[in-house]
Amino acid sequence: MPRWRRRYQLTPLTLLFLLLLGVFFALFMLYPLAYVCANAFVVQERFSLVFFKLMLTNPTTRTIIVNSLNLALATTLVTTLISLPLAWLMVRYEVHGKGLLNGCMLLPMIMPPFVGAIGMRQLLARFGSLNLLLLDLGFIDYPIDWLGDGGFIGIVIVEALHLYPIMYLNLAAALANVDPSLEEAARNVGASGLKLFRTVTFPLMLPGYFAGAILVFIWAFTDLGTPLIFDYRDVIAVQIFTMVTDIHENPMGYAFVVLVMLLTLIFFAVSKRFVGGRRYEMLARGHVVSAVQRASFDMTLVIYLAVLGVTALALLPHVSVVLTSLSGRWFFSVLPTAYTFTHYGSVFAHPLTLLSIKNSLFLSSLSTLLDVLLGIAIAYILARRQFPGKGLLDAMAMLPLALPGLVLAFGYIGAFSGTLLDARVNPVPLLIISYSVRRLPYMVRAAYAGFQQTSVTLEEASLNVGAGPLRTLYHITLPLVFAHLVAGAILSFSFAMLEVSDSLILALTERYYPITKAIYALLGRLADGPYIASAMGVLGMALLAASLFLAGRFLGRRMGELFRA
Amino acid sequence: MVGVTCEAITKVLGDVKAVDNLCLEIKPGELFFLLGPSGCGKTTMLRMIAGFYQPDAGRILFDGHDVSRVPPHKRHTGMVFQNYALWPHMTVWQNVAYGLRMHKVPDADQHRRVQRALDLVQMTVYAERIPNQLSGGQQQRVALARALVLEPDVVLLDEPLSNLDAQLRLDMRQQITRIHGEIQRTMIYVTHDQSEALSMADRMAVMHRGRVVQVGTPRDLYTRPRTAFVAAFIGETNLLSGQLQETGSLLSVHTPVGVLQAAPASAKLTTGDAVHCSVRPEAFRLCRDAPAPTATTVNCLPGEVQSIMYLGHHEQYVIRLPQDTLVKVVENNPLVRTAEVGEQVYLLCTPQDVVVLPREAANA
Repeated sequence: MPRWRRRYQLTPLTLLFLLLLGVFFALFMLYPLAYVCANAFVVQERFSLVFFKLMLTNPTTRTIIVNSLNLALATTLVTTLISLPLAWLMVRYEVHGKGLLNGCMLLPMIMPPFVGAIGMRQLLARFGSLNLLLLDLGFIDYPIDWLGDGGFIGIVIVEALHLYPIMYLNLAAALANVDPSLEEAARNVGASGLKLFRTVTFPLMLPGYFAGAILVFIWAFTDLGTPLIFDYRDVIAVQIFTMVTDIHENPMGYAFVVLVMLLTLIFFAVSKRFVGGRRYEMLARGHVVSAVQRASFDMTLVIYLAVLGVTALALLPHVSVVLTSLSGRWFFSVLPTAYTFTHYGSVFAHPLTLLSIKNSLFLSSLSTLLDVLLGIAIAYILARRQFPGKGLLDAMAMLPLALPGLVLAFGYIGAFSGTLLDARVNPVPLLIISYSVRRLPYMVRAAYAGFQQTSVTLEEASLNVGAGPLRTLYHITLPLVFAHLVAGAILSFSFAMLEVSDSLILALTERYYPITKAIYALLGRLADGPYIASAMGVLGMALLAASLFLAGRFLGRRMGELFRA
Repeated sequence: MVGVTCEAITKVLGDVKAVDNLCLEIKPGELFFLLGPSGCGKTTMLRMIAGFYQPDAGRILFDGHDVSRVPPHKRHTGMVFQNYALWPHMTVWQNVAYGLRMHKVPDADQHRRVQRALDLVQMTVYAERIPNQLSGGQQQRVALARALVLEPDVVLLDEPLSNLDAQLRLDMRQQITRIHGEIQRTMIYVTHDQSEALSMADRMAVMHRGRVVQVGTPRDLYTRPRTAFVAAFIGETNLLSGQLQETGSLLSVHTPVGVLQAAPASAKLTTGDAVHCSVRPEAFRLCRDAPAPTATTVNCLPGEVQSIMYLGHHEQYVIRLPQDTLVKVVENNPLVRTAEVGEQVYLLCTPQDVVVLPREAANA
């Protein structure tokens, strides 16, 4: 065996796998991105910035870009305002039923915003429940335009109510990590209350805050489903979506995708720089002082009201979806005037919906299988082998976290058109691959955590008594990380079932529609379309809630770590 | 019984030469110790014998057969890991039986052999427990049973007692020595605890910075260390630097505190060489009056008591010799104090108690 291979413990099997992995990443991540860039920058075989000049000078496109940025910024701001006080209350106070409250905090995240948006539209429309209620009660004389600016405010509300748990998780972790003695030192020299928070505590939390903020910002910046439901077309995501149809005639689509990529990269780079440059070494704890205090009765009340209130608010749209799905008649009234189960019957009778459920189950199962295989192998190699380019593999496996689904799906459509994988002929392979690429980081993280917790010596002990590497993997390693693998697989599966942007962009013919695309198509139909769509949304939520509950049982407290940056 | 030979082994880990051109000859059936401070390469060497690392250069032979490229699961070694590495998802019985299963041993045979291995370490009553329900000492014994059940050619023990408390450690020393006597197999035992090595080893190798400094029986290494490092690492010692003046039936060394007579050294030394004289604290005898020199106590150094520490079974004095040289002296079974702080005393020792070591080896 050559010396370098011995040094790095690379078996031929590992080498082969790394090679295949390289091909996979090159083909399904790098090539589509490169293809998009090439089409955006190359005009008549020459490098050109003409599309970008056009994009930035044309007032319409400029408005669109500004709208998207505003949307993301507003969402980030609102999530901060919701999460910061909650994080403070939950970290600094010891209160009965904290586990339950923490569970409530995470609940909104698992509710698909795509479905929530349908309910929010029902609630906040010009003659929606809220306005009608206020009119009935006599608080207002004319309906108020809650959605504002053609839906802008509605989108911000839906996204903020969906994304604040991510912010909360990061802020809570950051706050818990602040050494209490640093605050005591500040108190000792005279700072207190808000001043103390502003000058010492919050600055120390900043790395954690930025880690959460960047996730929320990019999510909101590239979200396609919510603006589509609100029919708010002047954002980049929707523009890209509509440009898929004439991808070969209009290169502006490529330019928009490249813009999203560049902005995403810049935001990540800026936040990484900020986080990296300011990662504080907290002091070693000699005498451990805890900043956690028992909540008084009043404080307990405040905490419960805050957490449950926000949770209720976040679930309101989903409640409205459930009501819609059950309503026989809901027109110009606060609540439905008649209830029925027929829409659920229609879900299973209607050819489009039934087929889409079958499609989604099939696609999600295969993509999960692919994720499990790739995830285990990548995590194992990362955790157990030393080799040059390890950092690169890690980066590649984590890249999809920073890669909006929109960008990837658009790249797939363009890059593989006219090939065997053309999405317009049969989108199934590309749907499976895009689902699994996008969820790969969760699977890798889950499996990696398992391998990290399992001491290498347990494997060595098995080799030592005569089991070969594969038998050791089967008898020792896999059983020990089983819970992590199951949790990762459940997460991949359920997110794939309700994936929005890949499904909307890649599934172009009705025969191949997954659930989300079917919901979108139904919403556009008059008559009972929205009702059946709501019923499907409810089924989707039930599935997601059930699988996350299962994953939580397997993963326990470590669940939250999957959603932290 | 299998003998193990290491031929000029070198292993680089990261940027460090963990093992550097190391040669060893371990005899069949021996309880052999690799002793050294942490980071000296002893565990790396053990892991190469087990096959978890491959040497960058050199060969490892089992009974003359080169096994350097044999993967760990085909080496027939039984390893006891420092953290025991018991599989948490299996019972004690399953842990021990696992290796037999891997070798497709028939069920009846398996049962008999697991039973015997558990009997050997006195863990039969715990067979159905899982590792988390066992104490450290019990886990340790299960790990031993798991390593022994396959009747391996070589048993490898990687600091097996370092996670146990002091009393249990003493107990397990006797157990391991007993088991070694019963199973009659070559055992290689890695430790940084010199008292473990001195009390258990047939032979031992002291390692320092990836090299073997000296190999021999415990008594050899304690009484006739060949370098200052060995002298200081095994037990306590006083090192007095000086210059060799005379060679012959007795060596005489000129030191700042006076001339010392010593028994002939094992290293090749010539007149004028810079040397260290190593004298164990318990080798000095403390006197209040200058004695008449006799044939056995030719070395006599005057000094002043600087401090005294009473430790029960012995009393430790620090004596200031001329030129502000400090030495430690230990008096065993001290019924009364020989001298008080500040008193003038004389230190006596025989030439056999003075070991002359080459000076440059001090930082080898």
